[in-house]
Amino acid sequence: MIVACSKDQGIGVIRVSNALSAATVDTFREQLASWQAVEVNVKNYVIDLKQVDFMDSAGLGTLIAVLKRITERGGDLKIACLQKKPRMVFEITRAYKVFEIYDTVDEALKMFK
Amino acid sequence: MKAVFYTADPLPWADDIGGVPWPLLPVANRPLLDYWLETCAEIGIRQVQVILGEGADEVEEFAGNGSRWGVEIQYSFARANEQPLDYLKATSNRWEDGLLFIGAAFFLRRRQAYKPSDFQILEACHYGAEGKAWFLYGKTGDEVKALLEGGFGSDRGLEQIHVHPFIIDGIPAYFDINMKMVEGELQRYVTAGFSNVDGSSVGYNVLTPPSAHLRPPLIIGNDCRFGFMSTIGAKVVVGNHVIIDSHTELSNCLILQDTYIGQNLEIRNKIVSGNRLISAEDGTVVEITDSWLVARNRPNMRTEDLVRYIILWVLALGIALIQAIPFCILYPLVRLTRIGIFQKNVFHDPKTGYLNLPVFIKLKNRKSIIYRLFRAAMLDRFPWLLLALRGRLFVCGQPPMRHPEEDELITQLPHYYPAVFSYADYSRDSDRLVDSLWYAHIRSLFEDVKILIKSFLYRFFRAGSK
Repeated sequence: MIVACSKDQGIGVIRVSNALSAATVDTFREQLASWQAVEVNVKNYVIDLKQVDFMDSAGLGTLIAVLKRITERGGDLKIACLQKKPRMVFEITRAYKVFEIYDTVDEALKMFK
Repeated sequence: MKAVFYTADPLPWADDIGGVPWPLLPVANRPLLDYWLETCAEIGIRQVQVILGEGADEVEEFAGNGSRWGVEIQYSFARANEQPLDYLKATSNRWEDGLLFIGAAFFLRRRQAYKPSDFQILEACHYGAEGKAWFLYGKTGDEVKALLEGGFGSDRGLEQIHVHPFIIDGIPAYFDINMKMVEGELQRYVTAGFSNVDGSSVGYNVLTPPSAHLRPPLIIGNDCRFGFMSTIGAKVVVGNHVIIDSHTELSNCLILQDTYIGQNLEIRNKIVSGNRLISAEDGTVVEITDSWLVARNRPNMRTEDLVRYIILWVLALGIALIQAIPFCILYPLVRLTRIGIFQKNVFHDPKTGYLNLPVFIKLKNRKSIIYRLFRAAMLDRFPWLLLALRGRLFVCGQPPMRHPEEDELITQLPHYYPAVFSYADYSRDSDRLVDSLWYAHIRSLFEDVKILIKSFLYRFFRAGSK
C-alpha cells in the first residue's frame, strides 16, 4: 500500500508513503479511487506528502488530475508536509500556483474550517 | 615564482553538481583553472605544476601545456597518504623565488580598487584548516618557509597582486560567486576591448526569437537557443550550449553547460546542471528523470570523436595514396619552374604548443597548367595529410592558427582541432573565429565529410583562380 486514507473532521487525509513517480502513480490512483468509492460523502482532502522524497512529472500530473476531479465535485484538495525535493519540482513547474501547500496536516485541516 | 595547483582532493559538493572535475567548474562560464592560470600570467609566474586527481584527463586536455596563458605547465599525480603541505615542505628548496599554492576551490577575485599604501601591509598569505594548506602565497623563499612552518600568515587578501581569494566551500558559495559576477564583477575580467556596460554579456551563436525577453544583468555563453516567449534574467548565468524552451522564465539562477530546460518552467534561486536541479540555498540535489523538464542535451562526445577520427584517418589514407604519385610528379615541376615552394610556418598545436607546418607559397603570379593541376588536385595539402596520418593534425576541423598572429583567437577557442581541411577552404566569407567555434559546437562525421567533399569540389572547379 502506498496510500493510507483516513477521515479527520469529515476531511479525507491521504498519506502517501512512497515516491510518486511513473512507477507508482497507477497504484496511487487505484488505491485512492477505491477509498473514494467507499467514502462517497468526503468532498475535501488533504494529501500528506511527508514520506514522499521524490516526485516526477507523472506524480505531479496525477496530483493535478486528482485535484481537478475533486474540484469538479465541489471539493478542494490541499497539500501538507511537502518535502524539499518534491518542493523543488513544484517550484520549477509552477505547481505551487495550482495547489495550496501547508507545512503540516493540522494547518491544512484548519484551512477547511 | 612558481605555482602549484593541487587538484587531487575530491570536493563532494562539486561532485553533486556533476559534469566536470571541480577545477573546471565554471564561474561566469570560465573554468576556475582558467582564472588561476590567468592570474599566474598576470603576476609573472611562468612555471606551474598541476597535481592531478580525478578527472585528470579533462584537466590536462583543458590546460594543455599552458601556452594559451603564456605559462609552462607540468603535471603529476598525488602520492597516496601525502598531504600537500608535506609535499611543499619536502620540496621547499624549489620555492626560493616564491610560491602560489592553491589546494581547494578558490576563486581569485580581482580587486576593483586598491590603495597603494596597503602594499606593504601583507608580505604573505595563508589559508588552511585542520593542518591542511588550502592556499598559500609568498613572494620569497623565506616567506614561503615561514608559512609552511605555520609562521606569520594572514587571513587578509593579497593586496600586492590585487587578488582576493574567495573560497568556494559549498554550493551556496559557488552560486554566490556566480551571482556576484553577473551583478557586475564580470567587468573586471573581460578582455580588453570588450565590455558589458548594460550588464549583459552574450556569447557567440546565440539565437533569440523576437519574443524572447532578455533582462540584464545576465551572462550567456556560446551556442545557446532560447524559445519564444522565454524570459531570461535578471541575474542569470547561462553556460555554453544551453537550450531554453518556450514560455520558460529564468531569474537569479545558474544554468550550466549542455543543459536543456523544458517548456513553461520557472527556475529561480537554483543551479541546473544537465538533469540535476540544485537548490542554491542548501545544495539539495534532485535528479530529474523527465527529459522534457530538464535534461543534459549533449551526450559524451569522446566515443563519437574517436569513431569519427578513425573513419577520417582511413579516408585520409586513401586520399594520400591517390595523391602520392601526382605529388611526386607535379611538385618537382612546380619547384623547377619556380612557381611556388613549401615554407615552414609556426602554428598552434593543442598537444605540444607549437607545430611547424609546410605552407605552399606561390612565388610567381603567372598562369601555368602545372600550377592549376597542382592546386586542382589539392596537392598543396599533401604534406598536411601526411601529418594527419601521423596524428599531428585532424583531417577535417578548424584551420590551424598561426603563431603569433592568431594568438588572440586561440585564447577564445575552448576546443581547438587544427585540421587539413576546414570551412575556410570553400567559404569565401569565412570568419576564422566564428567558424572555429561553430565547428567545435557541431562537429560530427557528417560535417567532416561535408567539409572534405566541398573543399575538393571547390578547389577542383576554381583551381588556379587565385
